Amino acid sequence: MNNNSTWEFGTRQVVYGAIGAALYGAFSWATNFFPLPAAGNITFRPAVAVLIFFGVAYGPIVGLLAGFIGNTLGDMISGFGFYWHWSLGNGLMGMVPGLIMASITDFKARSQIIKAVGWGALGIAVGMLFASLTEMFVGGIDLNTALVGYFTPAFLGNLVVTAILLPILMIAFAGVAARRGR
Amino acid sequence: MLVTWKYRPRNTFIQRLDPRTRFILLVCTIFALTIPEIWDYRILLLLFLLSLTQFLMARIEWKDIRRPLFFIFILVFFIIGLNGLLSGRGGPSSVADPNSPIIFQALIPGTTWGLTVTISKLWFAMNQVIRILSMALPAILIPYTMDPNIYGTAFKRMGASDNVSFTMDLAFRFLPTFARDLTITIDAQRARGYEMEKLKGGLVAKIRRLAPLIIPVTMQSTVTGEEVIDAMDLRAFGTAPRTWLKDLKYAPRDYAMIGLGVVLFVACCVLKWGFGIGGFFVPEFFTNFVLG
Repeated sequence: MNNNSTWEFGTRQVVYGAIGAALYGAFSWATNFFPLPAAGNITFRPAVAVLIFFGVAYGPIVGLLAGFIGNTLGDMISGFGFYWHWSLGNGLMGMVPGLIMASITDFKARSQIIKAVGWGALGIAVGMLFASLTEMFVGGIDLNTALVGYFTPAFLGNLVVTAILLPILMIAFAGVAARRGR
Repeated sequence: MLVTWKYRPRNTFIQRLDPRTRFILLVCTIFALTIPEIWDYRILLLLFLLSLTQFLMARIEWKDIRRPLFFIFILVFFIIGLNGLLSGRGGPSSVADPNSPIIFQALIPGTTWGLTVTISKLWFAMNQVIRILSMALPAILIPYTMDPNIYGTAFKRMGASDNVSFTMDLAFRFLPTFARDLTITIDAQRARGYEMEKLKGGLVAKIRRLAPLIIPVTMQSTVTGEEVIDAMDLRAFGTAPRTWLKDLKYAPRDYAMIGLGVVLFVACCVLKWGFGIGGFFVPEFFTNFVLG
């Protein structure tokens, strides 16, 4: 799984990292108006599915860059300022599903879609747990608020979004890739 | 297909600053507020005034910034402010002081569940808005006042690798393109009868109905990506260390502003950790004012 191509950082990763970041920022900006219920300052982001898709399709480096830079861009243009720990959490959320890039060979296969959603869920858990727990030090909240008020709604909301939109993105990508021939 | 932000050159002090200076000042402001966890309104007001001064000095035309400002203020006041007022979340645990006088309470009959607004939560919500605006105002300026051609150079000169710098540079350039593509896609889907304002059903149905907006833009971007990769490969990107066309040099004003940022950060840390000043508290004048 962690072969050289998985961790390669060349032109492809630079371009798709930038595209993923810009898409994540643009979609986050567009959907920052739909806050999750009882989610503290966390907002509802269907864009998370796009981030995880970029991780799955182009690898962990792309996922990390897209999540970190994209969250920073989205927060900046939404007027939220810069929160390094949430940006890093979003980066981890994109990086973890990227670890299975090499094993995803058919974006239409049901088993591979399920695997991608599963790794996406793991990425969401890791990323949001990191961000929620570091919020204890940055924002001065207690563990209960971090887990119940921040992590749980963010995890569940992002999981629902990913479970619904990631399969659609993967099937659409299979069609685009087949037409493009690479 | 690459388009840039609505940047326009203006002869202002803010735009004469080196981009690195502005990033460093922004980071110093954010770190001064977040690392020592500053919630004292006196320090918050000082940092807010510094950010507001930068914002006004940038002299961005009202017609350019009124729309984003409108949305940003809605977000800050109604989402962050109301969230702070109603839940008290996002701040120190002392906000939930059970001894704070209650301003408004609506409980479900026979239970202790419901809505309780205290003086502490109200003051916290106001502080939260000021705190977020202090960090947001200098960040909002960036796309309007910083030349997109120097983002990559700025990150490179701040120590990032060529690849990371170029990723940042491209991301900043792609963002308005994809935002515009999203707008065009929304218009195109509306022309086909898609009603974005009337997304019916539960959360799952609403998310599924976002697919006609998200999928076309994402798929088109993957095609665009291949074209950009080809163009960069043809120019031998990544085969040797890059040179950057633009060069950046610090001027005395940059050193002064970086010094100001560092002093603010250090002062906040010393006040909080050395003297115990900077934590959340509700001033007496506010309590007296609200309670009459």
